[in-house]
Amino acid sequence: MTLAALIADTFRESLARKIFLGFWACSTILLLLLTTVLNIDLVEGGLASIRLFGQDVDRGAQLPVENIVDLVLGGIAALLFSAGLFLAIFAAAGLIPTIFEPGRIELLLSKPLSRTRILLGKYLGALTVVGLNIAYLVGGAWLILGFKTGIWKPAFLYTGALSIFTFAVLLSIVTFFSVASRSSVLSSMAAYVVTLVAVVAAQHEHMTPMLNSETPRQALRLTYWVLPKIFELGDWSRTLMEGKAIESFMPLWSSALFACAALLLAARLFESKDY
Amino acid sequence: MTPVIQTESLGKTYTRRFSSRTVQAVRSVSIDVQPGAAYGLLGPNGAGKTTFLKMLLSAVRPTRGRALLFGQDALDPSSRCRVGYLPENHRFPTYNTGRQMLDFYAALSGQPAAERKQRTGELLEKVGLADRADDRIGKYSKGMLQRLGLAQALMHRPELLFLDEPGDGVDPVGRRQIRDLLHEQRAEGVTIFLNSHLLAEVELFCDHAAILRQGEVALEGRVADLTGTGGYHLAAAGVQESVRTRLASNVADAAAQNGSLHFRFPDLDQANQAIDLLRESGAQVELLERSRSTLEDVFISTVQETSEGARS
Repeated sequence: MTLAALIADTFRESLARKIFLGFWACSTILLLLLTTVLNIDLVEGGLASIRLFGQDVDRGAQLPVENIVDLVLGGIAALLFSAGLFLAIFAAAGLIPTIFEPGRIELLLSKPLSRTRILLGKYLGALTVVGLNIAYLVGGAWLILGFKTGIWKPAFLYTGALSIFTFAVLLSIVTFFSVASRSSVLSSMAAYVVTLVAVVAAQHEHMTPMLNSETPRQALRLTYWVLPKIFELGDWSRTLMEGKAIESFMPLWSSALFACAALLLAARLFESKDY
Repeated sequence: MTPVIQTESLGKTYTRRFSSRTVQAVRSVSIDVQPGAAYGLLGPNGAGKTTFLKMLLSAVRPTRGRALLFGQDALDPSSRCRVGYLPENHRFPTYNTGRQMLDFYAALSGQPAAERKQRTGELLEKVGLADRADDRIGKYSKGMLQRLGLAQALMHRPELLFLDEPGDGVDPVGRRQIRDLLHEQRAEGVTIFLNSHLLAEVELFCDHAAILRQGEVALEGRVADLTGTGGYHLAAAGVQESVRTRLASNVADAAAQNGSLHFRFPDLDQANQAIDLLRESGAQVELLERSRSTLEDVFISTVQETSEGARS
């Protein structure tokens, strides 16, 4: 009950701060574009014409309809993984540090629930706000294109789940830095920096031969192993859309491990602080 | 009977980050608050009142001693199941309506939904906010927020109420409303721990009080005892000058008023000796009563003792 109350409160906060509305509006615009701007006409299961903004698209390449669907859904998945997550972190970072405001935290701490539970409730609340929006966008796009073309790509739904998972990992960084600094700006910056470093470190196999000393090579490898595997998770979206199998689940479990460690550290830090 | 609040040498020392400097906010406080009591915590700014209160609610971790609520360690969240709290300078989330805010905090206290719904309406009515229940609290005045805060503290029918400056920013009518509500709680056996600068309010409402100074209890006891230390007031008529001179060495204070002489003696023995002397001399004893100090007098003399002590 207490977790549900904290999640519902975070949701109300996101509504009041127009965060949820902003996300919902962006997703709705994208879905409306998909509904109105892109017209795919099928005749007896074959592609008759594609129109964008009412204009026929040149089909010189003679792409099969399935490839068109893949292209559109792949584009949405890529957009979600880049701009979508960037915006999500920016917006959700404001939801966590608010609980540490003087005059608010004392009252929360006076309730018969552990600090870890308070933090977890807030984390899950922010995750719910973003998760619902991702589910709306991904589910909506999948349904619209499915009904338009008759082609149903369940792999696209997996990319939605993957985006939510990646957001959950990044949100754990935001949570830790929110506890440490009580600053939404600093905590969102920390998540961006970790993402950037993780993406660079993902190229360690290409980069290490260029380094002439063993110490920086080891440091780069260590950075790669410690940080969440944002690059690989993004790449998984493409792999899944192409219908290929995932070779190793290491990026998934190591990122989950990173998120758990970040949340545990955040909870430990929160437990030790005076307010 | 297990005290509702019990502290044993409770203390808090803050250590500044990146420095060896320390600040002793609370040195050592040991108090017992019995069930049903109205206990006032007083002290000048910086005496450690808020830190002490926050330690009881585990918002601040003690560096020594321990605090128990209902016999349970105050650091254990379950010890706060029966506790209601109205913080000073509270900042309730402004995106909630009054009704949502009460429901949210009561849910965190573990109150079931049906009970919350019924209790919300009941308390909003009691604090005079029923007609504004569905307005965002960002639109509430300071006094309304304070009354809503009190309703929040009472939602889950606590057995112990911590109130930090409850009359802050409230007009006299609102303050009266709050006081009536607190009297009602007391009648129901709720223990009230009041942290306030309004000494008259504490004197009017509390039966026990403690004065903190420099992080320690300087004075503690029943309010009646603390304010009953003003000595004895004796009035007599027809007092001869020689008797007056003899008495002058023992009295704390003497003044002539409407043909009578008024003396104040520090204790009852001296007052009795004076009565014997007055009667022997043929004077008429008109009045003997125990003088009462106000809590403000007691507070100021206690606090001044400290500053004088600190200067010497």
